[in-house]
Amino acid sequence: MTATMPPLATPDRTNRLAATRHGNRMVAQYWDDLFTARERGQQIVWYNGGALNPIFQAAGLAWCHGEAFAARLAAQQLEGPAQLAGAEYGYNAELCSYSRTHLGCAVLTVQGDEGAQTGVVGAHDQAELAARLPAPDFFVNNYAGCSTGQQWDEISYRVFDKEVPIFNISHPFLWGNKADAGYLQGEEWESASRYVRDQLVDLIAWLEERSGNKFDWDLLRESMTYIKRAAELRREGLELCKAKPAPATFWDWISAIAPINFLPGNQELVDYFASVRDEIQHRIDHGITGIENERYRLYFDGIMNWNKLGFLSRKFAEHGVAVMAGRYITNAFWQEPQLIDTDDPLLGMAQHYLLCPTNHGTRTLDYLTLRDCEEYDVDGIVFHSTRTCRAFTGPQRLLARSAQNNLGIPSIFFEGDVADASFYKEEILESRLAAMLEAIDVKRAQAS
Amino acid sequence: MTGERRYLGVDLGSTTAKAVVVDQDGAIVSSSTIAMGAVSRAGMQRAVDAALADAGLTAEDLDGTVSTGYGRRLVPGAQRTFTEITCHARGTSAMVPGCRLVIDIGGQDSKAITVDDDGLVQEFAMNDRCASGTGRFYEVLATAVEVPIEELGALALKGSTDLEISTMCATFAETEIVSLLAQDAPVADIASSVHRAIAARTLALVAQVGRHTPVVLTGGVAQNPAAVAFLARALDTEVLVPAHPQITGAYGAALLARDADRRGRPVADDVAGADRLFPRPSEPHSCGSCDGTIDTGAAHAVDLGLPVRLGG
Repeated sequence: MTATMPPLATPDRTNRLAATRHGNRMVAQYWDDLFTARERGQQIVWYNGGALNPIFQAAGLAWCHGEAFAARLAAQQLEGPAQLAGAEYGYNAELCSYSRTHLGCAVLTVQGDEGAQTGVVGAHDQAELAARLPAPDFFVNNYAGCSTGQQWDEISYRVFDKEVPIFNISHPFLWGNKADAGYLQGEEWESASRYVRDQLVDLIAWLEERSGNKFDWDLLRESMTYIKRAAELRREGLELCKAKPAPATFWDWISAIAPINFLPGNQELVDYFASVRDEIQHRIDHGITGIENERYRLYFDGIMNWNKLGFLSRKFAEHGVAVMAGRYITNAFWQEPQLIDTDDPLLGMAQHYLLCPTNHGTRTLDYLTLRDCEEYDVDGIVFHSTRTCRAFTGPQRLLARSAQNNLGIPSIFFEGDVADASFYKEEILESRLAAMLEAIDVKRAQAS
Repeated sequence: MTGERRYLGVDLGSTTAKAVVVDQDGAIVSSSTIAMGAVSRAGMQRAVDAALADAGLTAEDLDGTVSTGYGRRLVPGAQRTFTEITCHARGTSAMVPGCRLVIDIGGQDSKAITVDDDGLVQEFAMNDRCASGTGRFYEVLATAVEVPIEELGALALKGSTDLEISTMCATFAETEIVSLLAQDAPVADIASSVHRAIAARTLALVAQVGRHTPVVLTGGVAQNPAAVAFLARALDTEVLVPAHPQITGAYGAALLARDADRRGRPVADDVAGADRLFPRPSEPHSCGSCDGTIDTGAAHAVDLGLPVRLGG
């Protein structure tokens, strides 16, 4: 990896939630369990897109979410070897860096000296996390709203010489442009929900047949009961964060994504989100804030720049900016728990897969963005123009224009990426952010 | 307030350093522009020293200093930094009262800024990741066609054929130019086609903030008559150019230092534009070596069959 200049030292004015540290430990334990799943005799599925883990849990499989693994590598600055392997194999640097990283892992797995025998990448540095991902027994693709995501596992399938069984779930794009269409309503929504649910039924039968494991429906219902409760607690915490000043910020919720996205549905998950919500409530009760001296409240639109989580949280706090909410946390990850019927969870699960934030027409995204900007009472929007994620960035200019025209909210754009730090340059964000804050100052001064 | 107060604005950009001294009325007392290879403390110091010497001042004589540009945090003695967006809006609005859209094309980046009736920033868009459409892009063209950069505009105005040029990337464009030269395409046509393509790219930047008139072009590229003319054609409107388009950012910074002092506030604590800028006493921006006349690029606009109307 190319060495980059260290950023200018910035004072840390963040006050991150303590509860999320336990989540980090839970996630680390999950990965350790996955890395040793083969040794315990478990079969392993590589999947992408929506959170199918409750189904895999009930099917007796260990699971690896490709984006999550790539994000973890990036967050730990360990993405380099996998990305280089992918590049050498022929994956262009403009390709989604999640997929590039994960496909690089696939390449390493296939090429690894020990891979054929143990299913563990062995070609490069064994000490690195990238080299510990076990080879898959199955591929399942569950990607909505992203053409790359929908082909990702298909390409992995080819890397493995088409010898690993693959199942692809098709998701209609929610255009939202029919007369009766709206968020969570209309014939398009209803029919798409049923269409995806039926495929989940097929997936379960396919997994039973291929794995030899009888699917445990009771375990699915139990798992989804825990996930629904965890999601409700998460939403309660998000609601509490509308307080002024903010008791916690977008960055805290970013830290809490992994547990809700792919950890097993169990009591520990519920306890975790209860602790997050309770800590936020405690902060409100005692006047504890998410950053020092909140002066501005901004909305963040874009997938996380995983290489830069800590840095970005400090950067915004340095300017007195509480980043309140964002499409990636507010409108993703079991965000509508009321849809889940714990006795018959498949329809609600299908609906959440369709609710991937890249799977909406602009009209719905506009509705969600304006709604959140108003509810969190933000002064502006920061758009992370994610270089290799066109699905997320496609509508951003329209959203910015709408926010300006309808709410008088200014926006800035900065370029970065989900798992490739080379696309991010600090000065670009710094100058644009400072310029927007200067304009907000003027607006306030004139209004006073 | 006496008539002897002086304020310094410094714009340490990607390829040039600019310094402007203004008096309490906002009139330019002195200015300097120093070309650099990149952001350079030495270049910045030379610009400051030259502006102060020209004004007969030392640093101790200054009543306020504001810095801007990529290197704004490197300027010693500055009580406050403001972004280029705020400074270009402030400086250009003072130079061209009533302007509504500022397009600044510098050495490595470009900006489109809409300003309100008070000259305050409404919206802005920046293209500073890629050098396409910036001064650097023109330098690449000049090198490729072996023409001094100062003569590039005149050459481009002689072109008559629109050739296919991509502006996705300055490096790629250079490859295209070399390819066209290998096909024996006339250099004037190549030059005009590149200018036209850059104007189209600037139009895309403007689209992010919306078209507003009057339009003012600032930055080093504004000294290229063909750049002005092709941009005017792309926007289908006149494009005004201040007499000294490179110093608008530094001028705006100096004015912001003056504004704070006039309000009796420390520069470090001030809010840019907290007071209404217009109507206000005219801020003469003559630098002593010119009368501050706005250049519309009129002759070139006429060449291209564009409507011309003096602004300012």
